[in-house]
Amino acid sequence: MSKQVVIVGGGIGGTTVANRIRRALEPEVASGQVQIQLVDRDGVHAYQPGYLMVVFEKMRPEETRRDERDLLHKSIQLVKAEVEKVDTGANKVVLKGGRELAYDVLVLASGSVIHPELTPGFVEGAHSFYDLANAQKLRSALHAFNGGKIVVSVAGMPYKCPVAPLEVTFMLDDYLRGRGLRDKTELHYTYPIPKVFGIDTVAQPMQRLMGERGVTVHVPFNVDKIDPATKTVKGVEGETIPFDLLIAIPPHRGADFLAASGLGDKGNWIPTDRYSLKAEGKENVFVVGDATNIPISKAGSTADYEAEVVTQNVAALVRGEAPTARYEGRVYCWIMTGLSQATYIKFDYLHPPHPPTPSFAHYWNKVVYNRTYWDLTARALF
Amino acid sequence: MTESELAPAEGRAAQKRLVVDARGSWCPGPLMELVRVIQEEPAGTEFELLSSDEGSRKDIPMWLEKAGHQLVEMTPESGFDRYVVRKTHD
Repeated sequence: MSKQVVIVGGGIGGTTVANRIRRALEPEVASGQVQIQLVDRDGVHAYQPGYLMVVFEKMRPEETRRDERDLLHKSIQLVKAEVEKVDTGANKVVLKGGRELAYDVLVLASGSVIHPELTPGFVEGAHSFYDLANAQKLRSALHAFNGGKIVVSVAGMPYKCPVAPLEVTFMLDDYLRGRGLRDKTELHYTYPIPKVFGIDTVAQPMQRLMGERGVTVHVPFNVDKIDPATKTVKGVEGETIPFDLLIAIPPHRGADFLAASGLGDKGNWIPTDRYSLKAEGKENVFVVGDATNIPISKAGSTADYEAEVVTQNVAALVRGEAPTARYEGRVYCWIMTGLSQATYIKFDYLHPPHPPTPSFAHYWNKVVYNRTYWDLTARALF
Repeated sequence: MTESELAPAEGRAAQKRLVVDARGSWCPGPLMELVRVIQEEPAGTEFELLSSDEGSRKDIPMWLEKAGHQLVEMTPESGFDRYVVRKTHD
């Protein structure tokens, strides 16, 4: 009987890990000894880092979408369904509608889910760019904007792409200058801790840049509620900031089925060993990407690097070997510092990032990556 | 994040202590992790935060003072620091 590898989630992590496992186990898959199935809700693959680019018309909406089937190797079975729960005792994934998928090895790449409704007033009062529809709405709102006060805020933690609030602020500054609106616009940035980013090596150069760009910083500021009627955002620290246009990062949680499966913590993140990437206490369940509770960036790059490790460990388990590959915390993320300049952060568990001076060259690398993502990462061809 | 019950001190009920291992958390950073877990738990909860970020030595006491929570102790260990924090109010 063939061995079953089941992957839940068709985002960056799930897709690249499926294709890499297929390649790592090529003889076994070709001979039918191993079957790989990937479960995805709708079969549409979203390149989420593209949403911010859509806001500023640097990518078209359709460039952020592909058919998941086209990205998966033909030997990988795509199951379009929602997951009801995972039964790790019986080694099976239960789909809505009752179908069950038995597995020998399971990879959970179920990502994060935005929950704007968890912040009072968010849905009615704030713009965001964490899904395509809202990115397009924000693009239209900016198009109609003729000056006033724009506030950028974080409405919950953890959130995907920790540098995104910095990026949208710097891109807005550049965008408004280009439209001749910068001197008619106040740009305000809030952040939940007493500086503009979590660690000094990044916060200091970013704060300097904000000073140069005339951005007003409010820290610490943890969003309590948004009042769409008075157009104000109130922080738990007591400060209330009025706005004409609010761009906020919505609260995130792990996938709902994890609670029903007894696999999630309070935020539905899966307790995961930071090195082996095994779900804690489960020998044949691995976790990739946003779904983990590991306290590092929820970002595509994290999922990509983690996928290398999970691939090796899944292949080892399937072959009856010890899964010894270790994730060392590698992440590489660009930070847009304008519409055509960027820097980047590269780090692992032992080495903090030191972003270089922003440049057009770093921005161009990001543009090239956006174009090559589909083959380079999703299909894992290189 | 792992959880343990603290032995009850004299005249005090047993308390929940959550261990947050934020070593190597450069993005978003250990303080962001602490702010997140403090928001999720009730007053009275203790947190043991492990951080390898030297900036935490300044940031964490500063934020705790501003937010009105208590830094119970800070212990330097080999390659990281251990912060015990008590959430004092909801």
